[in-house]
Amino acid sequence: MSLLQELGAQIRATSDELPTGLVTVAMERLRSATELLTWVREASVDPIGVPLLGNATEHAEHAAAALRVAQDAIAAYLGVLGLAADADRPPDGDWRTGLADGATPRPGGRPRGSGAPPGPPDGHRPPPEKLGPWWQQRVSELTGEPPAKPEDVAAQHPSTSELLRRVAGDVRSGDRARLGRDLQNVDAATGLRLSAVTPPVMHRLAGDLLGHEPRAEDLPRLRTAVSGRVRSLLPGTSPGILDALLARICRAPAPADRPAHPADNAVTASVLTGVLLARLGRDPATLDPAAPEPLRRRDADA
Amino acid sequence: MASVAEVRAAVDAALQQVTEGQAAIQAAREKLSEAQKSLAAALDGSANEAVGAAHASLSQADQQLEECLGATLLAVEQAQTYTATL
Repeated sequence: MSLLQELGAQIRATSDELPTGLVTVAMERLRSATELLTWVREASVDPIGVPLLGNATEHAEHAAAALRVAQDAIAAYLGVLGLAADADRPPDGDWRTGLADGATPRPGGRPRGSGAPPGPPDGHRPPPEKLGPWWQQRVSELTGEPPAKPEDVAAQHPSTSELLRRVAGDVRSGDRARLGRDLQNVDAATGLRLSAVTPPVMHRLAGDLLGHEPRAEDLPRLRTAVSGRVRSLLPGTSPGILDALLARICRAPAPADRPAHPADNAVTASVLTGVLLARLGRDPATLDPAAPEPLRRRDADA
Repeated sequence: MASVAEVRAAVDAALQQVTEGQAAIQAAREKLSEAQKSLAAALDGSANEAVGAAHASLSQADQQLEECLGATLLAVEQAQTYTATL
């Protein structure tokens, strides 16, 4: 390896290791928290931290943009050196960062794995939450399946990423009854986290389906590709929720609406993820960050 | 019917997500700091415009993450003050 190749490899590695995935995880956690607090505080004059969380999310978005600019500048410099920026570049796995179980970023220490937020270790039983059957009731309304028994909920403790894989499996088999059971047999905190982990996954899957980065003009095409299947599995979800999710995937302005029930976004986003995965003909196991990076199709037709 | 305990639990669930977000931001800042050092060492002596732009963008990203963390701390304080009054 020449001196120049060695320098290029070092610079390229630094660029690839920039924490874009962690910033995305932070952004989605903050968005999800904002959504929940917005729902809690509706009609209250007390801000309960919502505008401040909005500012925090904006800063995280700017940080993500600055990291992308830095990566572009590094790629341009590699070009100046006469080295191809993409040579030997590992596939971009940022979209699954939020799905890594137990890969806790530890302040003051080196983050383990890809740096997803804390998850309960295997076998650990979290203390029972006090949110009541609130999540189960709403899931029941969305899926049209009867509410789960409290003892079933207490017996189940999958992580959010495991739940997402189960939902994707249920979508693939078209089993609405099992979808309803899987979504209801978790506590509200696990279910609500679906809102935070799904956006980068949906964006990537939609891009793979379209054959390019989703754009605003792709919105009607994407809607046609997924809405029928989402509605058949979630007869209780409002079209506005799906439209808002699709608009976000396509980086298009989302229709302004009153704050939705937080479970609506979480549940619809998980089913939409499953539908996109099924349209690509991929197994739910491909959502596991440890699974090999799926091959991307180019110029595909949704 | 909603109860004070349920409102408090919902706020706590949101704050748990904020805590996870804060942990991700702190981990991102640590990785960013390592990247800045590694890049500075590798590109020492370069006067190329793209190198300057990369350094500036990384500093800006760190600044934004710091401000992000500050805003989340204030938000948590505000939410906790609210639940304390319930």
